[in-house]
Amino acid sequence: MSALEKCPPLTRQSVQEAHKRIEPYIHRTPVITCHTINILASTPQAERCPSSGLNTASESAPHDRNQHGNALEYKARPNVKLFFKCENQQKIGAFKARGAFHALGRLVEEEGIENVRQKGVVTHSSGNHAQALALAAKTFEVPAHIVMPTISTPSKISGTKSHGANVIFSGSTSDEREAVVADVIEKTGATLVPPYDHPNIILGQGTQALELEEQVEDMLAHDPTLGIPSKTRLDAVIAPIGGGGMLSGICVALEGTGIKVFGAEPNFEGANDAELGLKQNKRIDKVKTLTIADGLRTPVGDIPWKIITDKSKLAGIYSVDEVQIKAALRLAMERAKLFIEPSAAVPLAVILYNEEFRKLVEREAGPDGWNVGIILSGGNTTMEAIAKLFQAAEKEAERAESKVTTNGERVAENVAG
Amino acid sequence: MADIARCPPLTRSSVQTAHKRIQSYIHRTPVVTCETLNLLASTPQSERCPSSDPNIASEPAPHDGKQNEGASKCTARPKVKLFFKCENQQRIGAFKARGAFHALGRLIEEEGIENVRKKGVVTHSSGNHAQALALAARTHGVPAHIVMPTISTPSKIAGTQALGAHVLFSGSTSEEREAVVADVIKETGATLVPPYDHPDIILGQGTQALELEQQVEDMLAQDPSLGISGKKKLDAVIAPIGGGGMLGGICVALHGTGIKVFGAEPEFEGANDAELGLKQDKRIESVKTLTIADGLRTPVGDIPWSIITDKQKLAGIYSVTEEQIKAALRLIMERAKLFVEPSAAVPLAVVLYNEEFRKVLGREAGEEGWNLGIVLSGGNTTMEAIAKLFEAPKKTEERAEAKVTTNGEKVAENVAG
Repeated sequence: MSALEKCPPLTRQSVQEAHKRIEPYIHRTPVITCHTINILASTPQAERCPSSGLNTASESAPHDRNQHGNALEYKARPNVKLFFKCENQQKIGAFKARGAFHALGRLVEEEGIENVRQKGVVTHSSGNHAQALALAAKTFEVPAHIVMPTISTPSKISGTKSHGANVIFSGSTSDEREAVVADVIEKTGATLVPPYDHPNIILGQGTQALELEEQVEDMLAHDPTLGIPSKTRLDAVIAPIGGGGMLSGICVALEGTGIKVFGAEPNFEGANDAELGLKQNKRIDKVKTLTIADGLRTPVGDIPWKIITDKSKLAGIYSVDEVQIKAALRLAMERAKLFIEPSAAVPLAVILYNEEFRKLVEREAGPDGWNVGIILSGGNTTMEAIAKLFQAAEKEAERAESKVTTNGERVAENVAG
Repeated sequence: MADIARCPPLTRSSVQTAHKRIQSYIHRTPVVTCETLNLLASTPQSERCPSSDPNIASEPAPHDGKQNEGASKCTARPKVKLFFKCENQQRIGAFKARGAFHALGRLIEEEGIENVRKKGVVTHSSGNHAQALALAARTHGVPAHIVMPTISTPSKIAGTQALGAHVLFSGSTSEEREAVVADVIKETGATLVPPYDHPDIILGQGTQALELEQQVEDMLAQDPSLGISGKKKLDAVIAPIGGGGMLGGICVALHGTGIKVFGAEPEFEGANDAELGLKQDKRIESVKTLTIADGLRTPVGDIPWSIITDKQKLAGIYSVTEEQIKAALRLIMERAKLFVEPSAAVPLAVVLYNEEFRKVLGREAGEEGWNLGIVLSGGNTTMEAIAKLFEAPKKTEERAEAKVTTNGEKVAENVAG
């Protein structure tokens, strides 16, 4: 990887330059709004109808009795207009394409294309970074070796292979993984392009924030009713955090703009290492979790940690549980019609269900309200994975696909429109 | 309903006027492109890899032994660039909002708002038209009575009720449904707003074609690489057909432009009544099918029939199997990251799997290729319905959600990016 000291400084300007470098290779993904979700987010949890049945297009109090009990006491009423940055529609279906293209581009700038092609690149990744680097490498005709744990989602494995990368499987622990990577480097001289713990990666990921900022300004100039009246720009952005490459990139990109940056994490089995680490003022360097937010199972890296512990860069991190992530995932799909992976639903889950965060937004946004950007980080999941997440009792499922009447009869229908 | 005699004529100009009427009430939904789907559509079926494992994001030869065999003989190689009109992101999640707002708007023009508010409106619909009319009615402060079969998708029932409509349930047959409607009219004097068999509805639905036509021209002017080189506009459009309100409207909207219009139907249990009817030159008036394309279970109405039998207006209708619809649905979600309902996947299924249509495309598009618009008619389905459609055996599910290794071990992972 490019030597750290030769990397550009971690500043907004560096992100702007990174953006110019990668622009021809990535998509300027759309930013969209959803009236229904704005209303839900601006309604106290206490006032949203708890779901009366899994098949009802319900308001989104998660379907858990415990939750319902507490939800009645949750009265925060933030006034928000949400702007979704659709990185699920990015090249390879996730924001990681940005970091990969930037890191590889910088490597080629520094060492020359011939050298890079001769040595190749290597990384270890279970998912989106694997596909991202595979695509960037294919684009520059650089050999790519991707070390993937055997546990990786099959669709991500085959996605990586489809870009021509050489996929090598490793055992589950980081030691085993790093051993295989070291092997590859020894045999091929390949350069390591890590998934998040490097400035070039961080700068690449940060470019999405520049686009989001600009796109919202343009949208509001064109149609002010999309946002808070008389406001011309974003007040805040919330994004998921796993390794921290994206969140820290966003912090760097938006520094000095006055736009506050928040992080969103799962808290299942200690996946909220960033949130807890910030509280105890010490980075947690090991995480073992099977949260459904499979892109966020990793602890925060060293360089991202330095950025997110800077209170002038990051305003805070909030976490949500598995049920809340599922509920937000359902809403993003069923209401906003956006196909996203579970990790991408985490920030929306925080806005809808984390009462601590909702109180903060209510306080800071005041009666005026806030324009809040939400990063939808990726859309790499499969119908089978969704089926598993949302399997209902067969009876209710049959009702959902309208094959039986409310009385249990099975009839075919001459149903108009 | 507005008296047919007083309706505007079914011409492109009338659709343009209809668009002006409803513009402020509906969304000008986005048009998106997807390189992966362009590539798949332009590759012969015989050259696409059949899936060896349902959990792999495979090329989409449908996962049926018979189909795979047949696929090796399917060698048509049409050259196409696809443009998806995202009516799944329309008000109430489907294109039906257009027809409802137009029909109600014309009714108000003719009878005056006070009259219409006094009498109210009524319709029978199992799905999207119910929600659409409920929304239009609420917008204008008009009472709405919606008769829904007990078999309707629960989320669509709830959606309709949430919009303030008075929902009445009826039995499954059209006689029972129409009896309840007649009852309501007798008691309330409400005006019937049918789901598709009326000029005002057809003109409303047609407005999406005007937008699509213009949006593609704008997109190609800005970035010609999105389409066939040297071409500035669409060559053809393909849309689903159930009752025929939308397809009829699109035919009328594009008449005289040179843009060819095609229809797409499910064939399961005789759902392809339009395709068969055209072949035998006689409208089929009764359909009893449980196709997963639940919005398309109805036979074509009289007025739409008179439009689609005009070869100058409609170039042809093609049908697909349930497996093919599912495969296309998977692709739209997993590759293009768009959340659509099964009915909306039918046109893409035709483009990808109907060899007869692919031969037509290959012939008519020639060496140059065609810019082809595809209407994604709606996104009103639920996680449970999808789960039911795509249930996989236990082992493969756990692999899909990355909980077991390829060797069957269950481990938690410190997985990087």
